[in-house]
Amino acid sequence: MVNLKKELEDNQVILLLMPGKEYNEDIVKNLKYFSSSSSVFYVTLNKTYSALSELCKKHKVKSDNVVFVDTISKTIKKTPDQSKQVYYVSSPGALTEISLVVSKFLKHEFDYMIFDSLTNLAIYTKRAPVGKFLSSLIHKIKGTKTKAVFYAISSGENDELIKQAEMFVDKVIVLGKNKGGESDD
Amino acid sequence: MGKHIMVVDDEKDNITTVKTALEANGYKVTSAKNGDDCLKKLKKEKPDLILMDIMMPGTPVREIIPKIKGTKIAYLSVVRVSEAEKEDLMVSKNIVDFIQKPFDIDDLLKKVKKIVGA
Repeated sequence: MVNLKKELEDNQVILLLMPGKEYNEDIVKNLKYFSSSSSVFYVTLNKTYSALSELCKKHKVKSDNVVFVDTISKTIKKTPDQSKQVYYVSSPGALTEISLVVSKFLKHEFDYMIFDSLTNLAIYTKRAPVGKFLSSLIHKIKGTKTKAVFYAISSGENDELIKQAEMFVDKVIVLGKNKGGESDD
Repeated sequence: MGKHIMVVDDEKDNITTVKTALEANGYKVTSAKNGDDCLKKLKKEKPDLILMDIMMPGTPVREIIPKIKGTKIAYLSVVRVSEAEKEDLMVSKNIVDFIQKPFDIDDLLKKVKKIVGA
């Protein structure tokens, strides 16, 4: 397993490509690793806050240091669970809203930001300027001390988006197989 | 003709994948691009099962489901929800399953067969 904290010492923004099968399990393991001693804000585009809380509990993740930005719950529930640990965005396709919320959290000097995931961003905003959004978002991150990990599933369907993202991040790490970036094998 | 399945999804690729697999196994398959389109098509079609994505543009699925009468529905969800949320989404007795994407197509076929028969 790649040492993400070490990678982030040298690279502020990393794109982490992961196989689909172990995706959720690996993401929670990484969150456990980050949140044990650092502050994290976690932007989710594919799991509700409630589902993430369930996963954290299952994997004994200390989530006190984590604030979640949930873009899913408002699309499927009338009244999402209220908690000081979560901020709700109207939908995963609301790029301006996501950008504003991320900017707000970046001002609070979190140690890490986790963006889960670019794959879902591509699903929900096919016709929107995802490249422009990413460029702007990463530019904002670079103006802070927060280290960021953008996740994506390493499948052929996402090649175009991944190519765009590769232009803006400092390093691409591919878990499971070698694909232009550093392989975990 | 086999049982009739309606696939409701805003992702054309998803519809194509599911439709191809179901048709190859003898099912009649029609599709709708979102919940509103599904309700419109249900005025003319009477499927045995609706496979419905949980997140689509237009009227939210939780408002669409109660308007569907007498047809079994299985959710297809690309997003991960908690067990409590799954229960919340079971807003109608017509909902018979909650299938998490990405799913194995053979598993989907088994589930469909179990719900409506071959």
